[in-house]
Amino acid sequence: MPLFRLHLPVLDEIKSKGLKGALQSKTEDIVVRITAGLGLTDVRGVLRDDPPGRPNPRLKPHAEGFWLHMKPTYYHNLMDGLYPTFRLGWLSTFFFAFEILTGVFLMVFYTPSPLVAYENMRNILSNVPFGALMRDLHKLGAELMVAVVALHMLRTFVTGSYKKPRQFTWATGVVLLGVTLVLSFSGYLLPWDQLSLWAVTIGASMVEAIPPEVVGRTVNLIVRGAPEFGAGGLLRFYLLHVIGLPLVGIIALGVHYYKVILHGHSLPPEAEDVGVDTAKRVPMESRVYFMPQILTRELWYVSGLTALLVLVCAFIYNAPTLEAHADPLLTPLHITSPWYFLWLQGLLKVGDKVVWGLIVPGAMTGLLLVLPYFEVGPSRRYGDRRLGLSAAAISVAGLAILSFMGSPWYLVTTSPDQEAVATLLPQTHPGPLREASWEDLSLGSYTAAAWGAAPTRTLQGLLRLFDDELSGVESPDRQGVEGIMLIEDWQTDLKKVTLRVIWTEANGTPHEYSQSVYLHRERNHGGGG
Amino acid sequence: MKWQVALGGISLAALTAILAFLAIGEVNRLAEADRAYAAQAIESGAMEFENLCRSCHGPQGLGTPLAPPLNIAGLFDGARLQAVGFNGTVEDYVRGTIAAGRPVPSAGANYPQRMPTWSQRFGGPLRDDQIDALVAFVMNWEDRALAGGGAAPGLTPGEEVGTDITQALPEGDPDNGRALSEGVLACAACHVLSTAGPAWPPAAGAPGIGVRAETRIGEAGYAGSATTAKQYLLESIIDPNAYLVEGFAAGVMPANFDTRMTPQDAADLIAYMLTLR
Repeated sequence: MPLFRLHLPVLDEIKSKGLKGALQSKTEDIVVRITAGLGLTDVRGVLRDDPPGRPNPRLKPHAEGFWLHMKPTYYHNLMDGLYPTFRLGWLSTFFFAFEILTGVFLMVFYTPSPLVAYENMRNILSNVPFGALMRDLHKLGAELMVAVVALHMLRTFVTGSYKKPRQFTWATGVVLLGVTLVLSFSGYLLPWDQLSLWAVTIGASMVEAIPPEVVGRTVNLIVRGAPEFGAGGLLRFYLLHVIGLPLVGIIALGVHYYKVILHGHSLPPEAEDVGVDTAKRVPMESRVYFMPQILTRELWYVSGLTALLVLVCAFIYNAPTLEAHADPLLTPLHITSPWYFLWLQGLLKVGDKVVWGLIVPGAMTGLLLVLPYFEVGPSRRYGDRRLGLSAAAISVAGLAILSFMGSPWYLVTTSPDQEAVATLLPQTHPGPLREASWEDLSLGSYTAAAWGAAPTRTLQGLLRLFDDELSGVESPDRQGVEGIMLIEDWQTDLKKVTLRVIWTEANGTPHEYSQSVYLHRERNHGGGG
Repeated sequence: MKWQVALGGISLAALTAILAFLAIGEVNRLAEADRAYAAQAIESGAMEFENLCRSCHGPQGLGTPLAPPLNIAGLFDGARLQAVGFNGTVEDYVRGTIAAGRPVPSAGANYPQRMPTWSQRFGGPLRDDQIDALVAFVMNWEDRALAGGGAAPGLTPGEEVGTDITQALPEGDPDNGRALSEGVLACAACHVLSTAGPAWPPAAGAPGIGVRAETRIGEAGYAGSATTAKQYLLESIIDPNAYLVEGFAAGVMPANFDTRMTPQDAADLIAYMLTLR
């Protein structure tokens, strides 16, 4: 008796079918396993758009496979066009996946510690091939995702698709909106430069206001890991960004998708009778099958969008320049929270932090979450929902106004002399002086009023801008305002530029405000990260 | 459907083309970004130097009686490293000194204060990237320092004021004296900006140096040989150990000012000091 017997079924098959036949049947077998139900001929049929056989084999992957389980087998042809979905839900999912892929690339080169995070960012931008491109893609994708998800919710409201039976789908959608916002916000902190630290500090400042004081202090400690952002806060935001929120997002997204399969895509409001939901009863002649039409389109969208995003990031869009290293002791002038939280910053300017920073936004979120459970009017028709649609329009306008109020242009009091200097030397982005051609900054002392006498066009432009800004400094309290720009040779390839504003107070005392910056020949402020 | 397949294919081809195009320029882009960050480090190092280092190491790093010059050939040509017996590179030496400070004075030089520790790793206030920026800034002096551009102009023998306190000095200009004290001679580093030496301006009820010079020579404990206020001030400058003000040790004030100033400089400085009442 042999010790063991080698048994290869494939040998038996070759014996019975011949080599060619056995290979064919093995290949067929593998393809069926990979596609969860489609054989070679079926795949070929899908690619050639042949009519499916009966029973339709193209439904099998939806029933048996994991990935297509999340997709309907067919769509109503009314849902096939741009209206009513504008593909916003699909786009949201696309960006979610896009962010995960670009994010994993960036994670490889990033350590969430204040000691090295900033250095890691520089390394990604100056030492990792395609690192800057990946950062740009991740950042642009994040911004677009916030916009797309918000628009998706607005569209769902406008077409009344949140109504029965899709209340819970809406609620998971609100959770996903929250996840998207906080994902984007938590990612903001990770570069650990001045911009990220302070934008997030402003955004996170309201948790401290939670009454009573002991709760606010505790929640603040939990969020930031210490009274102020530091090693603990960075690690917490990182973990939230790469594990916590994606996990919640994937679960909520799963439920969201499952509900779409369960209830079907809600048809355009005018396509159904009031109070009837016919999404699940699609007549045979109105069906557009996922395979091949929708699948082909989605594959083309994925490749087209990816190419477009890479094109935009390669030649047009740059993620914000890495500012100076985060410094908890130095607040930059005019720093704001990210644009999608500007409305919150605007609310904070309205009044009390507790009422306007916590209760009002909290109530707004809660209201949004339970909206479909109390707004139970049966009709989804636009004509029947004048009140609701008006409320939506007013809310959008309100958010826009609040966002403006959150910006530095509204109710931020800084002295005009600092303002004039900050126009040339802003603290949140490079600005005109740093971006000016280094060679054109000729050594010497120049007065803003005599900008025409400056030796180079660049200097003339800068001085003229300075002069324009200085007109805002002149007031009954401030007489004889004068602006001076002093450019000195400081070191090899290094110039020191000092901007000085001099004026006389009403009581005759002279005053001065000045700020200096050092500019190196090889500092590349525009590109290069 | 066919055009969707075509568009998808075109997109993939376009994506590949863009990435290939980027790949060609990527090496240059990375090198440029590297240079840009090195330049940014020098810029922020310059800012930190002005805020933190200038008060002791002097404007443009030319040194003061409180701390040695950095913008000189000796730091970069290896002379200072040899003097202290340091085997690493100049950059390592600069980084180590800034980060960890100096427990003892370097090379036997007699500076009244020790270099403090600056790195957070050694109890100082600065992060690693700030230390790196300062090092980058100091190292950027190399070209000009080696070319001699950074060194303070020396005095030729014969121009020096010397050590005779009874000599007749020319008429002094107090404004120039003030400029000297805050600039080249850097007296202000110890006598105005810090308490390493007796304060010049009036402070805490005590009168300024101008008044004290007049009263000091009549005091019982005065051990010097000056007979007028001007002589007392000149003696204090060029022969600082002739008489020590209570609370200050011998050798704290550099004893080399007799070779570092002209009689006119001394007259200007004294004229300025006498205005501090």
